Amino acid sequence: MSDIDIKRISYLAKLKLPHEKEEFYANSLKDIIKWVDNLKKIDTSEIEPLHNVTEKTVSIRTDEINKSNSVDDVLSNAPERAQNFFKVPKVVE
Amino acid sequence: MVIGLEVHAQLNTSSKLFSSSPNQFGSEPNENVNFIDSGMPGMLPVMNFACIEMAIKTGFALNFNINKYSVFERKNYFYPDLPQGYQISQFEFPILTEGFINIDNEGNQKKIRIERAHLEQDAGKSIHDIDPKFSFIDLNRVGTPLLEIVSYPDLSSAEEVVSYMSSLRQVLMYIDVCDGNMQEGSLRADVNLSVRKKGGELGTRCEIKNLNSFKFIRQAIEYEYKRQIDVIENGGKIEQNTMLFDTSTGETRAMRSKEFSHDYRYFPDPDLLPVNLTQDQIDKVKTSVGELPQAKLDKFIKDYNVDKDIAKIITVEKQNAILFEKMISETDVKPKFIAAWLVGDIFAFIKENNLEVSSLNEKTKEITDLLKLVSDDVISNKAGKEILPKVLNGQGKPSDIVKELGLEQVSDSGELEKIIDEALIGEDENISKFQGGSDRVLGYFVGKCLKATKGKGNPKLINKILLERLKN
Repeated sequence: MSDIDIKRISYLAKLKLPHEKEEFYANSLKDIIKWVDNLKKIDTSEIEPLHNVTEKTVSIRTDEINKSNSVDDVLSNAPERAQNFFKVPKVVE
Repeated sequence: MVIGLEVHAQLNTSSKLFSSSPNQFGSEPNENVNFIDSGMPGMLPVMNFACIEMAIKTGFALNFNINKYSVFERKNYFYPDLPQGYQISQFEFPILTEGFINIDNEGNQKKIRIERAHLEQDAGKSIHDIDPKFSFIDLNRVGTPLLEIVSYPDLSSAEEVVSYMSSLRQVLMYIDVCDGNMQEGSLRADVNLSVRKKGGELGTRCEIKNLNSFKFIRQAIEYEYKRQIDVIENGGKIEQNTMLFDTSTGETRAMRSKEFSHDYRYFPDPDLLPVNLTQDQIDKVKTSVGELPQAKLDKFIKDYNVDKDIAKIITVEKQNAILFEKMISETDVKPKFIAAWLVGDIFAFIKENNLEVSSLNEKTKEITDLLKLVSDDVISNKAGKEILPKVLNGQGKPSDIVKELGLEQVSDSGELEKIIDEALIGEDENISKFQGGSDRVLGYFVGKCLKATKGKGNPKLINKILLERLKN
């Protein structure tokens, strides 16, 4: 099993880990992966991958507009708004 | 240089890919956003089947394999313009694979292979320049259906890229899956460019993101090409990078100094079952593909005898071709004659008045009536040009305007003969000059006769009679 790069994982998950907790979480994740790795014991070489357990096809709808809410509804959970925009800390590319 | 293109085409559906919010440009901020688009917990995406149909249509038009089985996956990343935390896209099992399009490369055809095309949702828009400390987010574009069309690295110059992109745009507009409006971002390209010595191994590529005009595509490619060559010639190495093109300076620069490389951790979206199309569903779409630009071009040239360059101008956009074909169907005036007027004075009128070409579909009867008068020599070419704007502005029937302005041409040879004979009186010196071989004198005589008819004499006829008279 490959080593866990806990810094990278927390970066990708946008979660800040206190330095002293890094090892703890790294070990917890390792345990989870070890457990899941049990699945590798099964020989699946002859089995087609399955993307969903039901064999049904995606549900579809017709191309119709249905406005079910107002701008205010959508913005009502935003921590901050400015006119009808969501206002967030500066993100610049 | 070696270039591959990823083109994002916005599908012109009414509603979004997975939600029934309007898919519309230019609305007030966050006007077209519902709880699915804004990534609220517990909301479920439901597939808009029109998007699948448009993908199938594109499949037929661009010679793709249309896959009955395709899978939507989550591409995970955090950015405020996509609150759900992942983009729903197709990754391992796209709906279209292995297509191609033929492009015009300096008069020769070149086949550009297309690796794949898949459906995905667009993200929202961040606005950074209103407030120094905050970014403003407009989620209207979230969930807009995109078809991402990924070419093989078969392109080798800025010209080819522009030709490929415009051919693609033309086809997508013809089959009515994309409005082709690049200014509004309906069609945009990511350019993957690397350089190599002739026949050498492929170099490391850089990706220039989000180019939305032919001009910018050309500029960005030219700049990036020089940049990469400079780096290599100075002993450096090209780093694989994502670049932004600065439209104000015409330069490319690296985006995101990445501390960590991206890892999108794709996996099949558990909210969406795989797409399983039936042959029947695919066949149904086939009938709606319609005639493609290349077929129209061939038809105009071969069947209608239109010059290649003019036929090209007419087939650039579907609405031009529709207008042209409507006119042809309504008159016995030669298509070639109509075509010349269409790309000349008619298009000039449209441009001058900022009109949509399709707005003339209602006026084809008047236009062809006018062209008939010109081609039958009832009025002169010049008079036709004069009347055209009046006809297009709805100032009356062509024949009425002709009468009103007294523009009818004198094509009665008896009358013209009389005028010509009068004009030749006292011109013995010039007549002998002509007979001595000076062709220029002929122009002088034609002018004199036209003047005598107050410009209404049929110039062709005057020319003919004059020649007869002068040669005797």
